Amino acid sequence: MRAARFFDSILKLKTSNLKLSFLRKASQAFFLLLFLFLFIQTQSKGFDTLGYPVRVFLDFDPLILATTFLAGHAVPKAMLLALATIVLTVLLGRVFCGWICPLGTLHNLVGAVPVRRKAVSAGLYRLKYYLLIVILAGSLFGLEVSGIFDPISIVIRSLTLSLYPLFNRVLMAVLAGADAVGGAGFTAGVYENLRGGVLAFNPPYYLQSAFIGLIFLAILLANLIQKRFWCRYFCPLGALLGILSRFSILGIKVSEGCTACGACAAHCQADAITDGGQGRKSSECLICFDCDDPCPSSAVGYGRLSRRAPLNLSRRGVVTSLASGVLLAPFLRLSPPVSNPLLIRPPGALPEPEFLKHCVKCGECMKVCLTGGLQPTLLEAGLEGVWTPRLVPRIGYCEYNCTLCGQVCPTGAIKRLTRAEKVEVVIGLATIDKSRCLPHSHARACIACQEVCPTSPKAVWLEEAAVKNHDGATVRLNQPHIDLQRCIGCGICEKVCPVSDRPAIYVTSLGESRSPDNQL
Amino acid sequence: MNRREFLKITAMAGAGVMLPYELQTLAAAIPPDMVIAHGALPQKVTQTAIEAMGGMKRFINKGDIVVVKPNIGWDRTPEYAANTNPVVVATLVRLCLEAGAKKVKVFDNPVNDARRCYVQSGIADAARRAGAEVSFTDERRFKDVAINGQALKTWPLYTDILEADKIINVPIAKTHGLTKLTLGFKNWMGVMGGRRGRIHFSIDEKLVDVARVIKPTLTVLDAVHILTAGGPQGGDVRDVKTLGIVAASIDPVAVDAFGATLFGLTGGDIGYVKLGHEAGLGTMDFQKLKIKKITI
Repeated sequence: MRAARFFDSILKLKTSNLKLSFLRKASQAFFLLLFLFLFIQTQSKGFDTLGYPVRVFLDFDPLILATTFLAGHAVPKAMLLALATIVLTVLLGRVFCGWICPLGTLHNLVGAVPVRRKAVSAGLYRLKYYLLIVILAGSLFGLEVSGIFDPISIVIRSLTLSLYPLFNRVLMAVLAGADAVGGAGFTAGVYENLRGGVLAFNPPYYLQSAFIGLIFLAILLANLIQKRFWCRYFCPLGALLGILSRFSILGIKVSEGCTACGACAAHCQADAITDGGQGRKSSECLICFDCDDPCPSSAVGYGRLSRRAPLNLSRRGVVTSLASGVLLAPFLRLSPPVSNPLLIRPPGALPEPEFLKHCVKCGECMKVCLTGGLQPTLLEAGLEGVWTPRLVPRIGYCEYNCTLCGQVCPTGAIKRLTRAEKVEVVIGLATIDKSRCLPHSHARACIACQEVCPTSPKAVWLEEAAVKNHDGATVRLNQPHIDLQRCIGCGICEKVCPVSDRPAIYVTSLGESRSPDNQL
Repeated sequence: MNRREFLKITAMAGAGVMLPYELQTLAAAIPPDMVIAHGALPQKVTQTAIEAMGGMKRFINKGDIVVVKPNIGWDRTPEYAANTNPVVVATLVRLCLEAGAKKVKVFDNPVNDARRCYVQSGIADAARRAGAEVSFTDERRFKDVAINGQALKTWPLYTDILEADKIINVPIAKTHGLTKLTLGFKNWMGVMGGRRGRIHFSIDEKLVDVARVIKPTLTVLDAVHILTAGGPQGGDVRDVKTLGIVAASIDPVAVDAFGATLFGLTGGDIGYVKLGHEAGLGTMDFQKLKIKKITI
């Protein structure tokens, strides 16, 4: 009992001398900068491994842990770090949302814009709990959609596919402008220093870039309607942590000095204030301490919670969400089970049904891919697989000795492979369109495909042939052929083929070693 | 005989005795056109080859900005002999700096991912340690050059190579599916921008066209380990043959012609060597040149 009282007194922090909202902001800045630092480090420096734990934010994410476990039945060991977040929340409340989440910090930044904010329906906060139920119910049946709504996944995906490319384009344009003014090579030194770090090594290009950027912009702009709009009404991770915080040991509490003047309510980011200021809904409270400063009686503190505000979800809402989650899985899988030749998955990808149960669409693999070949699908993998990675060799091939995508995948949808394992994986097969191939149909020597083929012996073999050219003269040249036993589908041949608009040699998913069906 | 006549006869006799000796020293003082050095240690072999060519000071003046252009085209570690031997590159860098070069630049425009190529080949690290300024090619520094050749009118070339005071081409000897061998001339593809797949048609003419525009001071052929099959990418150490040879020459055609003999071919068998000879860029009859062979 004495220990409990001691514990109590330490935590009943008097907020007059310690600006907790300032500490919170400092924490948010730290984690956002850490996040951005790790994001920048998610790129190759030429070595076999990255050297930085770039996926660590995802490893700490309990929503990803829950759905990966329910849908995939196995979790990579690193993801058990998410248990720490659960413990933290049960102890301290939704401090992850208020002090750590990088999307939350971005919300705060946009939310600081002073606009007249409209009132939103008081019951809308329940929506995120219903969404959480849909996601968890769906994952019981192998549906993995948490990544579409998970805040960490959203930020990584949006930065990778849209914001970082935009940033690169703008910065390169600024450098080009400076070069135009200061003379050619003026910014060469600056560029060399920034390149491969803040600036991408190769200018990034992604399909659906603008679309994903607009979605992210909409999420942020919603803060002009209400502060922390996403967190209050949509975030399933917030909902999960909210459910845990219902029973958190500690939280923001109001002392007897409170006069119920309600001055704090106008500042609350999460709409968590009840009873005219005397109460806090611990499931909604983000522990941001914005209610502290405006309180004229300095009644706001942090300590042991006794009163628990109920979640107040409607039974109808819960049942509807459960049913939706359960039916969503089979509903999204109604398309015919034929392999899509365009769906070339990264090497190490699990067989497709398992892959879809594990991939959280976070975009880490697309960020780290050396050549920028990993691109988000739209419908190539069905609705269920939207924004999962596929290789587009015309944009970027799979570098033979590289194993980075498996290293950054948080859920094991792409297995971590050694180099020796990786070069044995077949992700597809190359095919030659003879009618477009220069030595086959146009009496022009080429064989760029054979030159770059990385397997030993090469999967492209040459046959000497005598062909007639347009003058009727006989030309002796080498014609390429594919050795189907040796080709691994890396796509470098397609990438270098000089018939660049529609390459004369191209890769399809046929023959991928992970699929028992998609074989010749 | 009078005193004047005596002095004249003595002088002529003395000169007559000295002259063959003088001529010999004089002949030895004229440096060779090509040196073929052979030994176990790549650093020593490279150094010996350069010294026998007259020392790096023959080629590099104080304050020169030098480009040492190795082959860093592929994501392969040195034992696969797909890129130039890093020790050979580093030795050349060091020798240039010792000869008074202001700056030695090392770069290439690779086929595979540049970051991996630079690291895995060992060249970036070795060259940097030797004091070179190692950099990746900057897409914006390729400028269209009017080549006005047989097959190429213009092509984007890297400004650093065009602006260098001296250029040392240091290719590695490998087989190649299209040109049979890749030696010095083919190494210029690493300073070319644009879509290089288009070069593959009439490649021999195009390589010679580019070689007309780039005049290396020295070509050093790395034949320490050569790739005898599966080139230019390589990938099987069983295709690598160790010869321990470094050949240096002021004649780019001659050194490639010599390189061909290492694979059992002649210069005339290699399209761009023959065309380079016909274009007057050098001679493929390298045996006619002043050659020094050294075995360590």
